Formats: sequence, structure tokens, C-alpha cells
Amino acid sequence: MANMLTTGISGLNAAQIALTTVGNNIANAGTDGYSRQTVSQVERISQQNGKFTIGNGVDVASVQRSYSAYLTTAMWSSTASLSRASTFNDLTTTLNSVLSGSGDIQGSLDSLYAAFSTVANAPSTSSGRQSLLGNAASTATMFNTLGQQMAAQQTSVNKQISSTVDSINSATSAIAALNKQIKQAGSGAAPNDLLDQRDALMNQLSGLVGVSAVTESDGTMSIYSSAGQTLVTGNTSFNLKAVPDPYDASRTNIADSAGNDITTKLSGGSLGAMLDYRSTVLDPAQNALGQAAVALASSVNAQQAKGLDLNGNLGAPIFSIGSPAVSGSTRNTGSATVGATISDVSATTSSDYIMTYNGASWGLKTTGGQNVALTSNPDGSYSADGMTFSVSGTAAAGDSFKIQPTRNAAGSLSVAMTDPSQIAAASALTTSAATANTGAATVGSVSVSDPTNAGVLAGATISFTSPTAYTITDAGGATIGGGAYTSGQPITANGWSVTLSGTPAAGDSFGVAKNANGLNDNGNALKMAALSDSGVLSGGKVSVVDAYANLTTQIGSAGAQAATNLTTQTALNNQAVSAQQSVSGVNIDEEGANLVKYQQSYQASAQIIAAAQTIFTSLMNALG
Amino acid sequence: MSIRISTEWSYQQSLTTMMAQQAAVNASQNEVTTQKRISVASDDPAGAGKAISLSHMMAGQQQYSDSIDSANTRMSTETTTLDSVTNLLDSARTLALQSINGSLADADRKSIATNLTQIRDQLLQLGNTADSNGDALFGGTSGTSTPFIQNTDGSVSYTGTDSQLYASIGSGLQIATGDTGSSIFMNNANGNGTFNASAASGNTGSLVVGASSVTDATAYANGMASNGSYTISFDGAGNWTAKDAGGNPVVDAGGNPVGGTYKDGDNISFNGMTIAMTGTPAAGDTVAVGKSQDQDIFGTLNNMINALNSGASGASLNNVMNGQIQALDSTQLAVTNTQVLVGARMNTLDQQSSAYSDLKVAYTNALTAVTDIDPATAISQLSLQSAALSASQQVFVKAQQLTLFNYIK
Repeated sequence: MANMLTTGISGLNAAQIALTTVGNNIANAGTDGYSRQTVSQVERISQQNGKFTIGNGVDVASVQRSYSAYLTTAMWSSTASLSRASTFNDLTTTLNSVLSGSGDIQGSLDSLYAAFSTVANAPSTSSGRQSLLGNAASTATMFNTLGQQMAAQQTSVNKQISSTVDSINSATSAIAALNKQIKQAGSGAAPNDLLDQRDALMNQLSGLVGVSAVTESDGTMSIYSSAGQTLVTGNTSFNLKAVPDPYDASRTNIADSAGNDITTKLSGGSLGAMLDYRSTVLDPAQNALGQAAVALASSVNAQQAKGLDLNGNLGAPIFSIGSPAVSGSTRNTGSATVGATISDVSATTSSDYIMTYNGASWGLKTTGGQNVALTSNPDGSYSADGMTFSVSGTAAAGDSFKIQPTRNAAGSLSVAMTDPSQIAAASALTTSAATANTGAATVGSVSVSDPTNAGVLAGATISFTSPTAYTITDAGGATIGGGAYTSGQPITANGWSVTLSGTPAAGDSFGVAKNANGLNDNGNALKMAALSDSGVLSGGKVSVVDAYANLTTQIGSAGAQAATNLTTQTALNNQAVSAQQSVSGVNIDEEGANLVKYQQSYQASAQIIAAAQTIFTSLMNALG
Repeated sequence: MSIRISTEWSYQQSLTTMMAQQAAVNASQNEVTTQKRISVASDDPAGAGKAISLSHMMAGQQQYSDSIDSANTRMSTETTTLDSVTNLLDSARTLALQSINGSLADADRKSIATNLTQIRDQLLQLGNTADSNGDALFGGTSGTSTPFIQNTDGSVSYTGTDSQLYASIGSGLQIATGDTGSSIFMNNANGNGTFNASAASGNTGSLVVGASSVTDATAYANGMASNGSYTISFDGAGNWTAKDAGGNPVVDAGGNPVGGTYKDGDNISFNGMTIAMTGTPAAGDTVAVGKSQDQDIFGTLNNMINALNSGASGASLNNVMNGQIQALDSTQLAVTNTQVLVGARMNTLDQQSSAYSDLKVAYTNALTAVTDIDPATAISQLSLQSAALSASQQVFVKAQQLTLFNYIK
């Protein structure tokens, strides 16, 4: 009888615990990170009673989390990938919006080139010249705007990197604290709530940065970053640090707790996305935009310098643009400073460079780590990739400098010219064949090749001593050049270049002189308008408009790839979460069925007790 | 393995699906409203790059078309001006021919001179014609608005340049948009274009020099090279001899002095040249023969005016007027040649212009294909997406009603 009661009570208890668990499952059906719990019941040890054994009721062995370590780990990994894809997509979407929202640079460039054409069609009309300067200013403003928007995103990404590092640190310290509590709970009943909380934090941390986790025998979880650093072990967490870049204080890098720079080693999560985005999309885009700005300024200014303005002077620059940015490492110990200028736009790249002194000589690498040959010039400067570097002071071994040829160029583009009469529409030089010439040679073209030559406008005479040889004399009669003549080959001296064609006779001469009387000429304006399709970059293959089109495709591709990757990662994450939820998630219908089952079980157990009471009462009555 | 569906997850999934569908509907709506399939570069990176290239090409052609319009305006002005010049030259020629009509009185010749003076002044004005920008049409590349300036002695100087202005009307294709005043009005060879034979002003006979030509180019060139110029002298009997620039007798290829007997209407020929003459020379009359020199039309007219005002008549007037008519014809030829060139250029402009009109249509179509939506496709896609969203919403509502708790009482 007592046995029957105990058995009934054990059934009641078990059903009660099961009902409570079902209630808890239903209550937490929508709780993030909650794992469905199930009651595990075991048969009580039976009483040996000679020939048979009598069952002794039921015991609740444990309330277990429905948990699969494999599926949960897979979910964390997919969370890291999804979060990376999602953040990357957000950033590239912003960049694409910035690009389309910052105005029509191609249209603006074409208006500028059309303005040169308008000046060519009416070289003396001041309204055409004035509107050319207006077009130049609006083109510069468009480059400025897009450059500033990109710089603003750079700043914003750096801030987000800092705040993400803070979030990572608070997650790892919370996990360390949970590790401590879980360890204290020891080998007794599993602390389901703490484990769920830790898993949820771990999932959150996976979204911030790629991590891996190992559960130790004492129940604590050790966490390692994708770069291999220990972030959590036992109840200790190790903080990551947001530190300024040694070359650029406004750029945020990541250091581990020991202070080592691990920026390039981290991957996964939103932090990995931001670091990747910054180095593979934003930096190159800023450099490419800057390169287009430099190409515009240098091509227009170079052609401008080869013509004459309305005052008869060689053209002054229309645009001004900043020089390459050079910054020394904060770790430098020497006194050296490095200056950089762009000497050949067509040879520039969109890379950034690190120039390092090894104690004996200077070496140059791209920030991507590729060696670049550095040529020593006679004047002590160095040249590489279209730039010239001048070093002053004394460098110590290991000193290094970062060179960003075009990073900030788009923001620094501006119009330097205010007086429209300074637009050099006219050709600088004219040539004339002497009237006494008897040969068949005619002047093909004349152009300025080096406007910095002091004698370029001084005038000269090319005299043929035979049909195949010539000498060049300056205005004072001094010989300044000469050579063998080939029809169609340029004859050069004093920074100009003349092409003759046909066969001259001995004694023929041709004069080269400043275009003194022809300031209404439009030869140079036509050449400036033709810059519209002239290759400037990449060895003279890529025009300014091409460079902008390439930048658009580059930014667009980054956005399209990010969107595709997000779709893929979302699907993968759905699968991983579905699989994990199929084990750990709560199904209300299932809980409803369990509720009915345990309710019935409770009622039945209560009935056992009632039966025991009836039997006992019957016995008492019989005895009474 | 039985599949357990987490209620919360399935709820979230349905929600995510609906949100994705809503985003798709929104994107399609945006496409239909703007008619553009590329709103940001990532919508179609290659297409966005291509759109820039196409827009740039169209802008380049617009630039060329604008230059063509501008060049056309300038050329039309030049055509009209040159037509007027031709008319004036025709009038001048007619007047010059009239003036050598022997029956004219001195007053008639003076009146013709007055007419010619007006023509000269009108020509000067035409030479200083401005284009639509106010720049001199015939000033070359000079900034001056009056390339032709009349000096106090009535002669005219050219202050423009000998370079032409060009317009860029295609990639690597430049076309001259004007002709220099020097080539039209100033640098025109007198005589027959190669050499000039003129009777000396002091001649007393009735000899009049007529048309001349080169009959043997090699003999002419060799003769001019070795002699420099010639002077033909007549004696009273009609015999002529020729001397070179140094005053030495001219010899033919065989080493014999050239010379012969002339009578009214004969040609005199030596060293590759033939010169027609009429009338009878007096003893000591000479005819100078030299290479053609550049002469400007204003000088030509001034020479005519001066001769007509000088009171001269007969052979001496005829000789002056004949020479000047030759020079005037030379200018007329230069004008005609320029008109032909201008016509050819305007023809080129028209051809380029119509090519650009055709290309513009082609490029616009290409650009539309890259950047614009196909309305039919976009709208049917939008209705499909809307239908799918509406279906998902209905399914969501139905599925959420399905729970066991509806039946546990």
C-alpha cells in the first residue's frame, strides 16, 4: 500500500516536473538562444520480493537541453559568414549610392571637353572662355564631393571598427564570466540556462568576428580568434585593441592583447567584413578616383602649358591638385623625411607603397607586399611607378614611409585659374618655309614638347646643307642642333619638335618662331578638346573618362558580388539555423501534445493515490 | 529522422520570405517608375561602365556636331562674302576692258577710275568681314578685326597671319574653317602665273603686249635660272634681240644669240616662252620679261586707277590695263579656287553631320538597351512578384491559425 502511494506520488512528481518543463518550453518558445528541454525519466529500483520484483515508481533523472554540439557549431560558423556578407553588402550598397548620388562625373568631364571645343570654335569670345572655367570648377567640385563622401565612409568604417572591437571585448568578458559560473555549477545538474546564455553570446560573438570554440572538460569554453589569438580561456578574457595605424593616426588597426598588429589576419563577422571592405574596396576606389583626378589635372595642365594665352604667354595651369601623401611610421627613429611627386602620370598605379630603409639602401613595396624596383637618379632622388622620391635627413635602419600617390587627390582637385584670358587656346609656335626654297619639303606639324625649356619661344632656323642633313641655328645665329634628315621624322631642339615631309634641296630653310601675331589661333584648344579621348593612364591607354567608367564598374562589381554572396550566405545560414532549430527549437504543437500527455499522466497518477486511499478505506472499514 | 519545425523559426522564416518578396516588389516598382534598370552601379556593373562609355561617345559626337554647326556658319559667311568678291571682280574686269576702248574720252576714263575706286573700297570692306563671333573671316589666326589696312598712299597691307583656323569634326578629323586673306587677296601671281611680260612705260611705238605662255617648261626653267630675267629690245626695222639681267645677249641652247624680226601680230618665242604682241614698236622700245611676282588685288586696282587718272591713252594705257587685267584674273582664280575648297568642306561637314545623326540614333538605342527597362517584362514581373507576395501573406495567415491548442479544451 505504502508502495502504491509512493509509486503514485513519484508519478505525480514526474508529471509535474514534465508539465513545468513543457510550460517552460512554451514560455521560452520565442526566446533567443533557448534550447528546448526534455525530462528524462528513469524507473526506480524495484523491490526484490522473493519470486518477483515490484516496480517502485519513477524518478526524474534530469531535465536536458536538446542540443547538438555539431549543429550549434555549424550555426556559429554560418552566423560569422552571414554577418560578414551582410555587413560587406551594407558597406558596398552605401558606396554604390554615394557613387550614383555624387553627380554625373562623366557628364561633367564631357561638358569640360566640349567647353574646350567651344573655345576652339570661337577662340576670342570671352563667354566661351568664362564658361570653360565654370565647367572646370564644377568638374572639380564633383570629384571633391565623391572624394569627400568616400573619405567620410573611410572615417565611418574606422569608427565602426573601434566600436565592434568594444562589442567583441564585452562579449568575450561576459563569456568568461559565464565560464566561471558554469565551472562553479560543477558536475551536478547541468546549468541549462547558463549554457544557453553562453551559446547565445557565442553566436553574437561569431557575428562580430570569426572565432572558434573548444569546450573544456571542466565545462568552460575556450575561444580563439580567426587569427589564432586566445580570446577566452577559463574565466579570463583577453581584449582586442583598436589602435591607430603607425602611418596614419586616423586609420584604425586591431592589436591583440600583447599589442601585436593582427589587422590583416582577422576574418569573418562584421569586423572581418569592415577590414576586408576597407582594404579591398574602399582604399582602391579612393585611389582610382584620385588617379582619375590626377590624370585630368595633369593632362589638361600639360597641354595648356604648350599653348599661348590671349596675352601671348605660355599657358598657366588650369587645375591644381595635391601631391602624393607621404607619412613616416611612428616607429621611425631616424631624422629622414621623404617627399614624393608624380613625374609620369601614365606610369602611376592605384597602389599604395611602403618605402623602407634597411640600413644601406631604400626599398619599395606595395602595401600588398609586392616588390617594386626603385631607380636611383643622378640627382640623388629615386623613381618608381611614375613617381619621384626625394629623401632628406638621415634614416635609421628599419625606418619606413607610407606613400599614397592618389588617395586624397580627388578631394584636393581645384581650379587655379581665375582669368579666362589665360586659357591657352593658341598654338605656341609657327613655322614658315623660306620663300627662296627650291625643294619639295613642307612643314607637317610643329609642337611644343618641353614648355619648361627657356628657349622654346626664342625662334630658330632649320637649314638644309643637303637634302639629307640639316643644322639648327638660334635667333642669334649660334648652332644649337643638327642631324640627318628623314622625311616625317621629328626635328627637335629647345623644347620644340617640327615634322617636315618631302625632300628639301640644299640651301632650303625653315623658320620656327613664337606665334606672335596669331593669338586668335585655336590649335591648342583643339588639342585640349581632343584630351576627351586621349589615353593618359596605364601607359597612355586609359582616358580620364575610361578611368571613371572603370571605377564605376569596379564599385558596381563589388556591390553585385556582395549582394550575391549575401544571398548565398543567407541560404546557408537558413539551413544551419533550421538544422539547429530542428533539434533545439520549440514546436508548440509538440508541447501541446506533451501537455496533454503529462496532464493525463498526472491525472492517472492521482487516480493511483485515490485507488490506494480507497483500498485503505475499504480495509479500515472492514477492520472497523 | 522526424523533422521538428521550430514554431518561432518557421514564423520568422515566413516573415523573412515576405520581407524579401516585398523588397523585390519595391525594386520592380522602382524600375517601372523610373524606367531605368540601373539606378546604382551594382545593379549591373558592366552595364553601368558601358553606359558611361556610350554617354561619353554621344557627348563626343555632340561636341563634333556643335563644331560642325559653328564651322558651317563660318563657311556660309565665307561663301556669301566670296560671291560678293566675285561680282566685284567681274565688274572691275568689265570696267577695265571698257577703259581700253579707244573711243573713250579722258573724262570717261576718269569716271571709270572713280568706279574702280569704289570697287577697291568695297573689296577692302569685304576683306575685313567678321564672322558670327566678331572675328575677322580672312585674318587667319590673328586676333585683329581688320586684317586689311589701307595706308595713306592708297596701298593696302595685310596684318593677319598665313595660318588657317581649324575645327575638329571627328576623332582625328580637322577641317579648315576659313581661308587667309593673304591667299585670296594678296599673294596672287601677276603675268601668266609663271612669268610676266610688260612693255616699258617709256615706249613710244604702238606695241601692245598680249597673252603669253610657257611652251617648253624645261627650256623656260633653264633659261630663267641662267639669265634671271630678260629685256626684249626692238630697233626701228622690227628686229628684236634679248638681253639677260646682266645686260648680256641671251643665247639659245646652241650658243647663238636669240632674236628675230617682228611684225604686227607676231608671237615672239625663245627659251620656252611665247609672247603674243600687236602693234608696231618704235626704235628703242623694250619689253621686260621676269618671273611672276605676287601682287595684291588692291595694288592691281590702284594701278588701273592711277593709269586711268594719268591721262594716258593708246598703247601705253593698253599695256598697263592688259597687265593688270591678267593680275585681276589671277585673283579671280584664287577666289574661285577658294570657293571650290569651301564647297568641298561644307560637303564634308554635311556628310559628317548626317553620319552623326545616324550614329546618334544607333548610340541612343544602344544606351537605352543598356540602361532602360523593357516595360512589358518589367510590368509582368511586377505583377508576378505582387501575386507571389499576396500568396505568401495568405499562407502565413492560414498557417498561423493551425495550432493544436485550438483543439485542446
